[in-house]
Amino acid sequence: MTQEKNAILHIDHLQKRFGKFQALKNVTFDVYPGEVFGFIGPNGAGKSTTIRTLLGILRASGGTATLFGKDVYKDSVSIHKKLAYVPGDVYLWPNLTGGEIIDLFLKLGNTKHSARTDEMIKRFQLDTTKKARTYSKGNRQKVALVAAFSTDADFYIFDEPTSGLDPLNEEIFQKSVLELKEAGKAVLLSSHILSEVEKMCDRIGIIRDGVIVETGSLSDMRHLTRTVIQYQTINPTTELKDFKGVHNVTLETDGLTTFSVDSDQISPVMDYLSSKKIVSLQSTPPTLEDLFMRYYNSDEGR
Amino acid sequence: MENRNYHRTLFLTRFSLKRDWFKLTTWSVLLVVLFASIAAKFTSIYDTQASIDEIVKTLKSPSMISLFGKLPGSGPYTTADVFAGEMTVFMAIMAAIMNFSIIIKNTRGDEDSGLLEIVQSHSVGKLSNLSSSLIELLIINTIIGFLYSIGLQIADLPGTDLNGNFLLGLGLGAAGFMYATIAAFFSQLVDNSRSAIILSYIVLGVMYIARMTTDVSHPKATWFIPFGWVEKFSTYQDNNWLPVFLMLTLSLILSIASLWINNHRDIGSGIIATKPGRANASVFLRGPLSLFWRLHRTSIIVWVIGLLILGFTYGSIFNTIGDILKTNPAMKQLVGASEINKANVMIIKQFVALLMIVFGVLALFPGMQIINYLKSGENKGYLELIHSKPVSRNYLFTSVLILGALTSIVALFAGMWGLQLGGASVMKHPIELSVFLKGFYAYIPPVLIMLAITAFIVGWLPKITSVSYLYAGFALFVEYFGKLIDLPKWVSKLTPFGYITKVPVHKMDIETFWWQLAIAAILIILGYIGYHIRDLNSSN
Repeated sequence: MTQEKNAILHIDHLQKRFGKFQALKNVTFDVYPGEVFGFIGPNGAGKSTTIRTLLGILRASGGTATLFGKDVYKDSVSIHKKLAYVPGDVYLWPNLTGGEIIDLFLKLGNTKHSARTDEMIKRFQLDTTKKARTYSKGNRQKVALVAAFSTDADFYIFDEPTSGLDPLNEEIFQKSVLELKEAGKAVLLSSHILSEVEKMCDRIGIIRDGVIVETGSLSDMRHLTRTVIQYQTINPTTELKDFKGVHNVTLETDGLTTFSVDSDQISPVMDYLSSKKIVSLQSTPPTLEDLFMRYYNSDEGR
Repeated sequence: MENRNYHRTLFLTRFSLKRDWFKLTTWSVLLVVLFASIAAKFTSIYDTQASIDEIVKTLKSPSMISLFGKLPGSGPYTTADVFAGEMTVFMAIMAAIMNFSIIIKNTRGDEDSGLLEIVQSHSVGKLSNLSSSLIELLIINTIIGFLYSIGLQIADLPGTDLNGNFLLGLGLGAAGFMYATIAAFFSQLVDNSRSAIILSYIVLGVMYIARMTTDVSHPKATWFIPFGWVEKFSTYQDNNWLPVFLMLTLSLILSIASLWINNHRDIGSGIIATKPGRANASVFLRGPLSLFWRLHRTSIIVWVIGLLILGFTYGSIFNTIGDILKTNPAMKQLVGASEINKANVMIIKQFVALLMIVFGVLALFPGMQIINYLKSGENKGYLELIHSKPVSRNYLFTSVLILGALTSIVALFAGMWGLQLGGASVMKHPIELSVFLKGFYAYIPPVLIMLAITAFIVGWLPKITSVSYLYAGFALFVEYFGKLIDLPKWVSKLTPFGYITKVPVHKMDIETFWWQLAIAAILIILGYIGYHIRDLNSSN
């Protein structure tokens, strides 16, 4: 409860309906200062719809969403003073140059072209004299990123910001986000590049069909999935497959056995294995990808 | 080599026809029905020789020649002659609008949006897209041409003949294709569709004005202007097919030129390239209003100067129009010089009253375009980042309204001023600007109502923003042609322009002025509410 009070973003049972189609059914999560919140989900799950609702571009059909304690639709103008946003698809006016657009965005946010702006332009190696018409997708994203990073906001929203960037620039992006985090800013990062989310995010929210199905830190979530164990023992382990929480026991050709085990059932299984005299043992912790797949594959027929 | 360049052209043609079928059908039906129904109507309007002689006298006056082209040949004229005289230039303009919009969209437009890149990554030739678009429009213009001819055949106007029907129909089709090739050429020359559209319309405008000047003074010189070729059919008189071949030849030359450019350039580029610009925004680019100005600057300037020139051109034929002695030399003996001058001024005022709707509607278009940008920019995703800034929706709405209304009003004024300047350049006793300003003031309220309707649609019905352009086109058609084709009076009352007194012949009606402004204000307020509460759906 105490945490809820100082949340920068507070979303409670947010719903959005487009005609008959219910894009958001139940979106609930909070984002706190100094944290990077990873917002993941497949295409069409409702990530961008949620973000557009937070920006006051769309009007929620139900539930509440507040930023800095203010209603995202009614108080959008005052909220936007302390907010920076980079959309997934950046469209820029073809006949303006990148430099002009960056400056315009800064002025619209009541700030100015600063030393920080120049530094960001240099970091991302953007040619600001070119007309936006000639930019590639990655360069258009850089324009929006430079404008966002040189804005002194308290809340940053990035909607799949690195989809057009090369690995070098992706690295620069991650570094810049970490700087924001260290400065105590809150960041909402929507992505489906799971390695990026794993590396940068403190907490994660998984959305599926317009519903947030899971939120928490990555370590919190690990218990939700299975650890893969590969081992060899001296004595045969015929009873293994009967243990609760053990799946997919397979005997490999080189004498190794592989199985996966629900994270909360590891202890009894390990005890059993050691009683059979372990020769070698290797365990692989669940990755975000496993988690993701678990939500999107295993209970598809839900 | 050549084969590879055109690989799968016909496949792409079939595909485009399928993709564009709705647009193509709508245009064809609209044009053919318009053409044929007016033709059918003419049999009843001009059924007696007296009524024909009456309209011919009007059509032979310089003012009508400047608007509709020179009536070819000599009398006695028939209903068919009148029809061809009134409709040819108008239908040619319609054909230009249709062809410009389709071919620019299908060539440079698809290249801008990246669609062409995907298509070209498949096994298609480098020139296949352009050549298939040209073939597509050749097909559709030929079909429309035949339908015109058949329509004329069915309407069976007194005085028609088979040769003339097919000449006029197919000739207009050929004119349409010629405009397609002109726009195709510009689409290859410049590197974005906006510039291609602007250039095409500038060329159309210049040709229209040029033919107006030559028609009034030296009709023979009109042969040098491609736009004027349609007038040289001399339909139902000499039935001259030469202009059709001239148009086809020019089309062929332009097609080859466009294909040549296409073959010698990279995808996404043009011969006239976009220059690099400034690294920082100027102090003037600082908010929505200045952004919208910057985005529409070129088109605003083109429209305002265009209307100034159009006004000037019309004005510069005032001395020919307002010369009552030409048609009635005996008058000199009957009345004094000042009386004659008064009569001359009256004729000019009548002419200006007829022109007002042209200036009114033309001035509307840039304003509507600016207001509609709230929707078109939203569709293209350009406004999404603006929406994430501390800029309220009301502020955005106000910005486009102010810029749109100012643009339309300035453009209307430019037209009036052009008329005065043009008149002053040729007349011994120039008409004062105040006379034209009567028209200007009277037309402000209906122009504002039309803009308010546009704003209302942007606020509440963003899916049908193009309706406002159609409505403006309808107003132009009704007010400009309504009397000639004898439309019932109530039709004219369907647009705000129908309530305006005949300015500058009569005084402006102050009551109309105020109630129209009130309606505009109400529509704008409603528009604000709609825009405030609706979703701003962007591209995806």
